[in-house]
Amino acid sequence: MSVTVKRPSTFTQYKTLLVKDLRQEFRTKEMLTSMGIYALLVLIVYGAALAQTAQVFDILQMSGGLLWALIVFTSLLGLNRSFTAEKEQGCLEGILLVPLDRSVVFLAKATSNLLFLLVVEIITIPLFYFFFLTSTTPSDSFWLIVVPLVVGTIGVAGIGTLLSTITINTRGKDVMLAVLFIPLIFPLLYACVSATTAAIVGGDLFMETFTMSLALAAGYDVIMVLLSWVLYDFVISV
Amino acid sequence: MGDAAITTSKLSKVFGNRKAVDNVTFDLPKGAFLSIFGPNGAGKTTLLRVLSTLSRATSGSAALMDIDIKEEPDKVRDHIGLISHNSMLYMDLTAEENLLFAARLYGVENPEERVLELLEAVELKHRRLDTVRTFSRGMTQRLSIARALIHDPDVVFLDEPYSGLDPHAVEIFDGLIDQVRENRTFVMVSHDLQKGFSMCSHALVLAKGRIVAFDEKENLDFDEFSQIYRATVGMGVA
Amino acid sequence: MAEKAKKALKLPESGQWPDSVVPIALVGAAVFLVAGFLMAFLYASPVNGAALSEPVLVGDQMVTNVQLLSQKIFYFHMPVALVSFGALAFAGFYSVRFLMTKEQRFDTCTKIAMEIALLFVVLTMITGEMWTRFEWGLWWTWDPRLTTYLILMIIVIAYFILRNAIDDPERRATYGSVIAIIALVDVPICYMVTRVIPSSIHPVVLREGGMTGDMGMTVAVVMIGMIMLGFVLYRMRFRQVRLTQRVEAIKEQLED
Repeated sequence: MSVTVKRPSTFTQYKTLLVKDLRQEFRTKEMLTSMGIYALLVLIVYGAALAQTAQVFDILQMSGGLLWALIVFTSLLGLNRSFTAEKEQGCLEGILLVPLDRSVVFLAKATSNLLFLLVVEIITIPLFYFFFLTSTTPSDSFWLIVVPLVVGTIGVAGIGTLLSTITINTRGKDVMLAVLFIPLIFPLLYACVSATTAAIVGGDLFMETFTMSLALAAGYDVIMVLLSWVLYDFVISV
Repeated sequence: MGDAAITTSKLSKVFGNRKAVDNVTFDLPKGAFLSIFGPNGAGKTTLLRVLSTLSRATSGSAALMDIDIKEEPDKVRDHIGLISHNSMLYMDLTAEENLLFAARLYGVENPEERVLELLEAVELKHRRLDTVRTFSRGMTQRLSIARALIHDPDVVFLDEPYSGLDPHAVEIFDGLIDQVRENRTFVMVSHDLQKGFSMCSHALVLAKGRIVAFDEKENLDFDEFSQIYRATVGMGVA
Repeated sequence: MAEKAKKALKLPESGQWPDSVVPIALVGAAVFLVAGFLMAFLYASPVNGAALSEPVLVGDQMVTNVQLLSQKIFYFHMPVALVSFGALAFAGFYSVRFLMTKEQRFDTCTKIAMEIALLFVVLTMITGEMWTRFEWGLWWTWDPRLTTYLILMIIVIAYFILRNAIDDPERRATYGSVIAIIALVDVPICYMVTRVIPSSIHPVVLREGGMTGDMGMTVAVVMIGMIMLGFVLYRMRFRQVRLTQRVEAIKEQLED
């Protein structure tokens, strides 16, 4: 039994970790189903919440905010679960025993969270449109909401991965994640709501608001993801 | 130089004001089997975690296979395996996928072959396509041994490996350990005095983080040793 | 070698030189704050308040142009707000020090700086609330500064909730430091985002225009007083916490 061990490249390790997450999710579909059902339930709650508004009520101006509220709460649910499988049997320690750069763990987990969130968004946004926007006519630039959605989700997945690594080791972890996540994500949320609303409502000045909000959201992404990436080593090593 | 698998010098780990590991100094030759005994809270598991690079020593130094654990933890990690009461296996992945995952992270060459070889050794080849969730406690334990040995480590840490095993599983476990004993150094933390003493070549008693007794088994008489052990357990209770 | 470098590291401890400045700073804080208080009412000239979009009922009176004593809140509100952010900056600094050295002492410093930040943030919110109510005639508006300080307050509270939820001191210190650093980066971004992106629904009720010389003087005096106050509170709290920690350590030793 002779075994040769050659330190694999960082990319190979990243791929191995990511494939493991995807394979696990593909088998159980735990995160996707729970997030999907939760998002649907929020939409139903919206239905009741908006039922008494006047017919002429302009849903367009609110839809950006409603959409992002949906995304924030759904992603909270998903992020909370993203480390349960790692913790269950001490798997995370198993990963830490391997000689690898700790930030690879962050990148792999953030990528898998990003992918799951995007899949859930692909399912829920048509539903949102179907339930609330078919009665009105959004502007022609509606399709542009894809951009703030992607930019926002990157930030959510990045800082969310760091925060869920922290909260998995605390008492009352579900509430803890919300308490840290929502205030820290606030600037991104604000910018993304602005960009999304601008795209849905349209109008003369829309391009200006849209690009400025997007630039701010992208700036937040870059700074926060880099910061999370740098700090991750400390968080996971204790 | 060259003969010691583990050397520690004044190793300490402090939690707040509490010294979990206090000034621990010992040398362990290659190929030895060290059993660490001590009452609950004596710092056995903490010592094991520090030596396996999962926890950072507060002061003092330690080296495994002549590599300093503080200076080059990643190099140390290539040489160690850990078997604990946590299986470190993903419940929703198959036995084969779990081992392949570990093999790829470590960068074992020809991972498929190595995995099959190990599955055969732990007699789980016929179940390799089943998810770990369907395994019994004993089978999971066997698979976790295979996972720990995937990169052919020189030093193997055993953290309470017997907890939750029925007598039959213990027998199989002992047989497996005997099989892989050759050319490897073992460090085991156990509550079971008789079992731990019969397997070991060196014995170490910890109390309140300090070494109470450390010697080769040849120099120790079991009755005398168990008296020392009982005295320390009494100390721990007081 | 590494061992030696660590021993040489000078840790903040109670009884070091800053403690000898504390009594002077305490007196200074009292003098400057009282002077600032008097100046705010006697020296600084009254300013025209904001013109309101419609007449508002304030204190049983319909007013269109607010010019009230409430403007004096400003002289305290701004220094308090700046000191609270300063305290957060110190918390961030000590957090970086902790992550670099893993010395629990720096975590103690972070925690106390955060406590001071919390105190001053709450004061900011109270004075700010008074300001919005009387100057703008609103209880709450999602104005950039108000929003930022609300978020800052929640983050600081979250920091303490997080600390309470962790038992292992090393883990608590590490997680706390990470959150403090992220908070320090997040808060300016928050201000910038809320400032740059106009909120379409709420009217912008900010008064534009700079401060006159006498106003600037008053703010400066109060500012110095508040900084001294913050410093005194920090050192005194630090001393208290350190003494408690030392007693605990001695107790632990005696038990052995």
